[in-house]
Amino acid sequence: MSLSIAGMSWVTPLGSDVDDVWQRLLAGETAPVEILENEENGARYLVRRVPANTPFPAHSRLRRASAISRFAAAAGLAALAEVKLPPSLDRIALVFAVSNGGVVYTRRFYSEIVKSGAQSASPLLFPETVFNAPASHLAAILGINGASYTVVGDGAVGILALKLAEDLLASDDLDFCLVVSAEEIDPLVCEAYRQWRFLRNPSKPTGHGMIMSEGAGAVLLERPDESIPSAAAHASAARIEQIVPGRNFFRRSEAAAELGAVVARLENGIGFGVGSANGTFIGRAERAAVGNKLPLYSPKIALGESVGASVLWQLIAAAQALKTGTLPGGLELPANSPALVLACGLNQQTGGLTLRLRQRE
Amino acid sequence: MNSAKQDPHRVAVVAAGIVSPLGFGLTETLQSLRQARDCVTPVTVFPVDKTRCKTAGQIDDEQLLTKAQRCRRARRLHRASHMVITALAELLEDAPGFPPEIVIVGTTSGGMSFGENFYRTLGNGNGCSAALIANYPPQKQIVDAMEKFGMNVPAEVIANACASGTNAIGHAFNAIRAGRYQRILAGGYDALSELVFVGFDSLQAATPEKCRPFDSNRSGMVLGEGAALFALEELESARSRGAEILGEIIGYGISTDNHHLTQPNPDGSGPRRAMEQALAQAKLTPDQVGYINAHGTATILNDSAEGKAIMELFGDVPVSSTKSMMGHSLGAAGAIEAAVTLLALQYQFLPPNINFRESDLSLNVVANEAHEAQFNCAVSNSFGFGGTNATIVFRKFAR
Repeated sequence: MSLSIAGMSWVTPLGSDVDDVWQRLLAGETAPVEILENEENGARYLVRRVPANTPFPAHSRLRRASAISRFAAAAGLAALAEVKLPPSLDRIALVFAVSNGGVVYTRRFYSEIVKSGAQSASPLLFPETVFNAPASHLAAILGINGASYTVVGDGAVGILALKLAEDLLASDDLDFCLVVSAEEIDPLVCEAYRQWRFLRNPSKPTGHGMIMSEGAGAVLLERPDESIPSAAAHASAARIEQIVPGRNFFRRSEAAAELGAVVARLENGIGFGVGSANGTFIGRAERAAVGNKLPLYSPKIALGESVGASVLWQLIAAAQALKTGTLPGGLELPANSPALVLACGLNQQTGGLTLRLRQRE
Repeated sequence: MNSAKQDPHRVAVVAAGIVSPLGFGLTETLQSLRQARDCVTPVTVFPVDKTRCKTAGQIDDEQLLTKAQRCRRARRLHRASHMVITALAELLEDAPGFPPEIVIVGTTSGGMSFGENFYRTLGNGNGCSAALIANYPPQKQIVDAMEKFGMNVPAEVIANACASGTNAIGHAFNAIRAGRYQRILAGGYDALSELVFVGFDSLQAATPEKCRPFDSNRSGMVLGEGAALFALEELESARSRGAEILGEIIGYGISTDNHHLTQPNPDGSGPRRAMEQALAQAKLTPDQVGYINAHGTATILNDSAEGKAIMELFGDVPVSSTKSMMGHSLGAAGAIEAAVTLLALQYQFLPPNINFRESDLSLNVVANEAHEAQFNCAVSNSFGFGGTNATIVFRKFAR
C-alpha cells in the first residue's frame, strides 16, 4: 500500500535542516570527522557527531534524558511541524527504530556496577537504558497516548519500522504514523565495531571501514484515504510505493543474494538507488544486487554510519533527490522514475523500498 | 486499498512452544500451573551479594543446552538463543513446516549478558571474542533460531519494555486480522542479565521477599526468563489444511500512559484504555470474560493501578498473576503469559496467584491453588516502562 510522506526531518552531523543539508551534500560536503577516545582502553575512533550548537526542544522529560532522546525529539517535532493540519493525537501512532539505543547511560550504569558494586547502581540512569525510553519521552512530549512501538535491529531496522507503520496504517483507526529513528555515539559501541573489524583505522582516515555517527530521522506517514483532507504541506513530498523487509543473511557472502531478492520484489523501472554502503562489505553486496548500471548513492559516506537512524536518512535523501532531480556527484536523474532505498545491516538484516514524487495536492 | 473495511479475518493459534521457569514445553508448564509450583530460586547466573533481591525464576542451563542440541556453533550462542530455539522446536513438532511470512517477536535485552562480558573484557585488558559482539544484538536470538530450523523470513523485533511480548502477539494478530498476512510466528524472549537485575534492584522494584502480586503486603517483583512462540494463522487457512486449533485471538488493545517513564498513572487509565480497546475489538462485554491473567508485578504502584482498572471494568472476574510462580520475564512475559492463558482456556482451569494472603484491593484473586472453571474468553495484560500498555483477548475454539 502506498503511503504519503506528510513531513520529514533529520538531525545529522551536517545539520538539521533538510533542504540545507541536502544542498551541502549535493555540493560534495562531508560531515566533520573528529577523534573519540576510549578511556577504558585508550583506543581511538573516527566519529561524526551532531554539532554541539544544534538546538533541541526544551521539555521536562528531556532534562535527564540521553542525547538519543534529544535527537529523536528534535526530528519528530520538526517532521510534525511540516503539516498544515495538526493530526488528531488519538489517530496517530509512533514507531521508533533503534539499534544500539541509549548506550551512553547503559555503559555508565553498568560501569558503576562493575567498578563500585551493585549497591552503587543509579536508579536515575537505569530507566534511560531501556530501548523504548526515547520513544516514551517523545510520546509524552507530543501527547500521543495510543499505539507506540519501538523496533530494534541492525542498520536495516528502519525498513522493518516502516513496514510496521504500514501495517498499522492498514487500520481505519489511524490516519498518521510518525516513524522516528535515532542513535547516539559512545566509545563502547565504537569499540565493539572496531573489534568486529568494521571501523576505519584513525591512522588511515581515507581507508576502508566505516565512521560511526549519530543523529535522528523522522517521517510522518499519512494513510492515503480520499476521505481525509491531506495534511501534507511539503511542496514536493514523496510517496512510499512499496516496502519490502528482506530475509536474513546468515553469512556475509549471502548478503548480495538477499538484497537481490529484495530488489526483485520491488517495482520495475527504478531510476536510482540510495543505498547503505558504509566502507564495509555492504557496498559490494548492494552493487552486486542492483547491477552496475543503476546510479547508487550512500549518504553514509558523507554523514557516517548511524546504524538505527540510517534508513530514514536514506529515505529523506532519496526524497530530496526526487525533488531536486539530482544526486551528489552531479548526476541528473531520469524524470518520473521511482527511487530505490536499499538497506543492509551488519548483523544479518536486509530490506528495501521504493518511493516516487507525489503530485502537489 | 482499505483491507480494514472488509470483514476482519479470524486469527487462530495453531501451535505454540514455551520454555520458562515453569518447565520445558506446554505439558510441563500445565503441570506446574496446576500444582501451583513456586519456581523462584536463588540466583546462580551472576553474583547477587550486593543486591537486596537475591532470587529469580531461572531456566536450568544444563537442560537448556541439552534441549538445544549441543554443537560447537551452539555453544557460541547466547542463552536467550537457546531459549528461542527450544520454544521453536516444540512449536514445529506440532506444526511441522509452518511457513510464516514474517516473524514478530518482543524482547527487552536480547543477549545482554554478552554485552556485559564485552564491557568487562574491555576493562580488564583481555581480548574480546567477536562472537560476544555478533551474538549480543536483540534481533540475533530469533535469527539464530530461524537459522537452526531452516526458516528465513524478516524478523520484526519489538522492544516495548515489559509489554513487548504482548505487543508482538497483538500486532501480529491485527496484521492477520486486516488481511496483511496469513501466517505469522509471534512471541517473545528474554534471559536474565546482571544489568537488568541490578537495575530493578536499584529502583527498589525488586523484592528480597516472596513475590506476592495483589497482596496487601506485596513488596516488589522478582525477575524471570524464558521464551514462548505462537504460530498464528488466518482461521480459514488453518481450517482448510486441517490444522489443530489451540484457540483464537479475538482482541488487542494498546495504549501509552505518559505519566512517568517508570510509574503508571495511579488512576489506572492507561491499562483501562488498553483493556477497553481489546474488549471492543473482540466485541465482548466484561462479563463475558472468565479469567484475567494480570500483569501483576507485585510492585505497589503497578498492582494498585492495574487492580483499580480491573475492578472498575471487570468487577469480580477471577484474576491471577502467574509471575508469582516464575518471576517477571520482561520481554518474554507477555508471550509466556499468553501461553498460560491459552492453556487455562484449553483445559478450563484458573491458574493460581501464589504467595497470596490478603488484599487491600477488591479483586477476585485466584489465591494459591488452581481451580477448575468453565469459561470461553480470557484476557492477558502486560504493561511496561515507558507507559506502554497492552492487552490481548483469547477465545476457546469451538470446533
